[in-house]
Order: sequence, then structure tokens, then C-alpha cells
Amino acid sequence: MDRKVVVPGDLLSEEAKRSGEGTYIRNGSVYSLLYGLANFRDKINVIPLAGKYVPGPGDNVIGVVKDITFSNWIVDINSPYDGLLHISEFPKRIESADMSKYLHIGSSIMARVKDVDPTMKVELTLNDRKLGLIRVGRVVDISHTRVPRLIGKGGSMISMLKKELNCSIFVGQNGRIWVHGGAKDTDLALKTITLIEKEAHTSGLTDRVVAYLKREKGARS
Amino acid sequence: MTNVISEIKKDFIYNLLLKGERIDGRSFDQYREISIERDVIRKAEGSALVKLGSSQVLVGVKMQPGEPFQDTPNRGVIITNAELVPLASPSFEPGPPSEVGIELARVVDRGVRESKAIDLGALCIEPGKKVWIIFIDVHILDDCGNILDAASLGAIAALLSTKVPASRFGLGEDYILPVRDIPIATTAIEFNDVLMFDPGVDEEAIANTRLTIITTAEGNICGTQKSGTGMLRPEQVYRIIDIACEKAKEIREKFLEA
Amino acid sequence: MIAMDETDISFFKDGLRLDGRKADELRPVKIEVGVLARADGSCYIEMGGNKVIAAVYGPREVHPRHLQEVTRAIVRYRYNMASFSVEERKRPGPDRRSYELSKVSREALEPVILTNFFPRSVIDVFVEVLQADAGTRTAGINAAAVALADAGIPMKSMISSCAAGKVADTIVLDPMKEEDNFGQADLPIAMTPSGEITLMQMDGGLTPDEFRQAVELAMKGARDIYELQKQALVKKYNQMAEPGKMEVHACD
Repeated sequence: MDRKVVVPGDLLSEEAKRSGEGTYIRNGSVYSLLYGLANFRDKINVIPLAGKYVPGPGDNVIGVVKDITFSNWIVDINSPYDGLLHISEFPKRIESADMSKYLHIGSSIMARVKDVDPTMKVELTLNDRKLGLIRVGRVVDISHTRVPRLIGKGGSMISMLKKELNCSIFVGQNGRIWVHGGAKDTDLALKTITLIEKEAHTSGLTDRVVAYLKREKGARS
Repeated sequence: MTNVISEIKKDFIYNLLLKGERIDGRSFDQYREISIERDVIRKAEGSALVKLGSSQVLVGVKMQPGEPFQDTPNRGVIITNAELVPLASPSFEPGPPSEVGIELARVVDRGVRESKAIDLGALCIEPGKKVWIIFIDVHILDDCGNILDAASLGAIAALLSTKVPASRFGLGEDYILPVRDIPIATTAIEFNDVLMFDPGVDEEAIANTRLTIITTAEGNICGTQKSGTGMLRPEQVYRIIDIACEKAKEIREKFLEA
Repeated sequence: MIAMDETDISFFKDGLRLDGRKADELRPVKIEVGVLARADGSCYIEMGGNKVIAAVYGPREVHPRHLQEVTRAIVRYRYNMASFSVEERKRPGPDRRSYELSKVSREALEPVILTNFFPRSVIDVFVEVLQADAGTRTAGINAAAVALADAGIPMKSMISSCAAGKVADTIVLDPMKEEDNFGQADLPIAMTPSGEITLMQMDGGLTPDEFRQAVELAMKGARDIYELQKQALVKKYNQMAEPGKMEVHACD
């Protein structure tokens, strides 16, 4: 598997069919759209270091309520686009006048993106047992581009973390991560997440994380 | 264009404070790492780039002869301006200075003026007709909290490195601008009865009240500014003053003397 | 020969220019990526005595709302000079020149930005000239292109900018202050690495043949600058690739 740092406009391949994420085709050749790391497999993908989160249907997100209208909570999801949580997507039947009693400005929620329309109107939902108002635990922000690495192939990294750290973890695709556990476990979890964010683009990360956790937990006892 | 701070974050910061801790592990009266680089802008008569934690402020001093103010015909003029340019923060908008920017400029100016760091009488070229005008221009580059203290540091550091451009105007040889004092501004915020110095961005966002104390090399107070919508009790003010004098002395000794 | 200033400068001495360069030489260039913490992308550049910093915020929500476009992101570019950046202190705030420079600079970059990826949003580019030494607009565009890449903005290609001029009847690359002020022509351009021109301005007097020469020379300069922009970006990435090492980029 070949990897290379590229900048926008770099020629990646002369076979148009190999065009993957972060690339475009011109005159039958594939070029990079982004500044980042190009991964040369069957398809060539360019993974950026930075960039804003653009919501997609099915994404889990963590948002902060920033405004309340007659029938919607307007939610900041760390994106150029706000999420709209309609009153009907709240798990309980409530009156419009009571909206701020349940979720007020400043409330944090674990939500899912129900739908995104072509004008980028983003609809959120809380209709799921795993979703809802965040009352306990800590929320940390990382770059959304590192979330795939935090989750790992088939969820391998995140399952390992949940087990080793004995914490509940909710990963928002928008780069916000909720962690809840014992004080020391939570601290270690956050430190580990920060480590993964810093080194997401390097190889051998999983082994380093496992070793790091072993060290830190060993130092505790 | 500022984001709403989540309650969770506010609670987290507050709970840490109750335990005597700040989010970045500093103690309540601890300043972030400071670096001051002088003479960074050759075209300016004096300049300084101040880094306070991740905050970055560039101050340039320009001098030119001009007319004195009518009521002070034999004294030089100091004009202090601050540009909170949009590149420095998502909440700075392009356009004429906001009240926040104007306040910052005036407080920086107060430190320089009231400490009498510059002898304005010595800046007279032709009594009643021509005096030196000193422009202190603060250019905020990166607002990661407490840009006021950084700007104030930058102003005095830039003045200390200023050369009067007399030769350019046929007024003799260039000479180092005499600076008689080193005013230092120190700012503390108050949040739920806890006082913290050198607030970072998150701390500034949750605080209601801010008090800036400007002290001279002799340890006297030459300027203060309380801002924000909260209230301070006298004993909080005195506590801030005590620490401010200490901190200012530390910073002055470490960076600006010799 | 166009009449010059009373100072009657001789621009060439033994085939070298006032600052010792040959006719087709660029001034020294220094590029640093990611120098600001708050901005989404940033770049600091020195070209000769120019010190320019560019920052990108976005895509982000458009304020005021009525400016937004339903199908794409709008691009805003604000070129601004610090009061202390020039010999005679400049009054703060935009003037007609900065409005014009902002417009053509935005138009130099917009053709390669994939704005349709981000409907109803804005990509803000802010350029601050901290010290000016002829060629601030080209330095600004070069820094802005790097800042856009640093911010993760999708672009078809980079944009590089350079100027050519004419002094003492000779076409020169990257005019310095005296050459810009007292020379016979100034021609800044911006282009993609493959030579598609996105900015072209000119003032002075050139024959059609001289014009062609100047454009070709400026394009050569822009290509050289592209290599430096790319180097700076790759360098930043590789510095971050050291596990456990955190690079904090400083503004000079």
C-alpha cells in the first residue's frame, strides 16, 4: 500500500477508474482535490488533515442547542450547517411551549442525522434509546477527519478502547466524542483520544495505543 | 459569529475551579509562556511580536513630525490604535473598530501615557508648530485569550526598540527614543467567585467580569479598567491588585529590563 | 524611455539589479504553514521584504444571511495593510486600492475552488500585509492559496502568483520597491501550475513583444513559487508525521 503527501492538483493516476475520495477526473486522469495523504489502493483516496464536517444521513453527532423556535431546536453540530431537531423527533410527546424545559440553550445532545436535503437542510433525530440529552460525562473535540481512525477498521479501535478503559463512549462523526466512566478512566480515555488524534495519520498506531494504555494503567496500580 | 458554550463545558470548568484547577493545568495566578521578539518590522520605527500562550499580537510604532494639539503646543502626541482584524478570530468582523477594539486601544494607551513612559515635552521640534507624533498600532494576529495584556506588552516592547527617524525629516541624526518607565498590564477574570489571571479563550468566554491593572516599574498603579457585566467586591479588587503587582514585576524583569 | 523620478536611479550595474539579482531572479521566499491557532488554515510568507500572513475561515455560516447562495459557497477575500507596514504610516481601514486588490485576488483563487461542495456557506480569506516591499498582492495570493490548502478546502489545483516588470528597457522578474516605483511597467499574474491564468494586471508601457516576454517571465516565476508552496505544505505534513512530536508554527 503506497502513501504520499499531496497538494490540490497533484496528478495521481492516468486511469480514471481509480478515482476515489478527495480526487477528481480531468481528461481521463485522476488529480487530488485536497492537501493530505493519498492512499494508493485499487481506488486512490486522499485523506485531508483539516476540513469542516459536512453532515450525512445516518451520522451520529453530538450537538449543542443554540436556539429554539416554535417547533425546532437549532443545534450547533460543529459544521457550516446547523442541525434542526424537530419537536416530533424528541422521544417524548411535548408541547411547543415546554421545549426549553427539556432542551435549553447550551444543552448537549447525542443525536443522529435523519436526513440532509440538497440545500443542506440537516434534520436530526433523538428517537433511539442510545440518543438523548447529555447529563454526565465529558465531551471532547477532535478534528472530524480523525474520527475514522478513532473508530478503526470495523470498529476495532473504539471497541478496544471501550473495553480497556471501562468507559461508555459515543463517537460523533462531527468530531465530538462523549466519554463517561470513573474519573481516572475518563481522564485516561481523553488522553488516549488526544493521542490518536495527533497521530491518526501515522502507521503502527494501534500497537502504540495498546502499549500506551498498558503503561498508563500499570503506572496507576 | 461566536458559538454557544455548552453547559457541560461550563460545568466542567467550574468543577475544576472548585478543586483549585484550571483547564490547562495552570495555577490561578500563572501566566502562559511569553515570548517577545523586537524589531520584526524593519519599516516601522519600532516593533514587537508578542506571543502569550497561543495568542499572538504584533505592535508597530511609527513616528513622523506633525502639528501639536492646540491645548498642548509644546508636547508630542501619542496616538494608539488597535486593529482586531478578522484573521485573528472567528468572532472579529471586518469594519470600523468595535467597542471592544476601541477599549483595548485606549487601555493600552492609558498604560503608556499615565506612566509617563514617554517624555512628551522632549518630543517638541518647533514650539507651537511641530512636534513628534508617535503612532502605536496594535495588530492582533491570533486571539487565544488575553490579547489586552499581550497588546500592552507589545506596545512597551515596541517603544523600547524605537528609533526616532530624525534623519528622514532633516532633523538631525536618528536616536533611540528615551523611555522612562515600563508599564505592564495584568488582567484577571472572575468566575463564580474564583479569580484567574491571564485567561485563555474558554475562560474568557464564561467569565462575566474582567479587571486589568497597569503598574509602573516602581510598583505604582497607573491605570485600571474593569469590564464585563459582573460585579467585584473590594476585597477581590485588592487581591487582584496584590497579585498584579507581583506578576507585572516578574514579567518586567524577565523580558523587558536590560 | 519613460521619464523617471528626480533621483535618476541606474537600475543595473554590471548586469545586476539594485539588490544584486539577475534580471530573471526571484527575491528570497520563505513560507510557513499553519501559523495561527484560531484560523482553519493559515500561511505566513516572506517575499523579499514583504511579510504577509493569510488566514482562511470556512466553509462557515454566512452572515448576513441574505448573501448566501443556495447552490454553492461564496468566497470572500479581504486584503488589508497594517498601518506600520509602509514607510509613511497608513491610516487603518480599507481604501480604494485594497478593495480592488481584494476583488482581483478573490477572482484569482475562485476559479479553482470547488464551491459547489458547500452550498449556503462562505469561505473567508483574510490577508494582512505586515510589511510591504513591492508585490504585496502576489505575496498575498501565494499565502492565501497555501492557507486554503491548509484549511482542507477542495481545489482543482494550487494558484501561484508573481510579477514581472520593465526597468531600463529590460524585462525583469519580481520587481523590488524602487523598480516598482520608478520602472517602466509592472505586470502581476496568477496561474495554476499548468499555466492557466487567473489574474493579470498591468500598468506602464510595453510593446506587444515585451508584453509576451513579461508574461512568460512572470509565469516562470509563478512556477518556481508553486514548487516552494508545495515544499512548505509537504514539509509541514512530514513534521507532523513524527509520532509524539507536536510542531507549533511561529509567525516570524
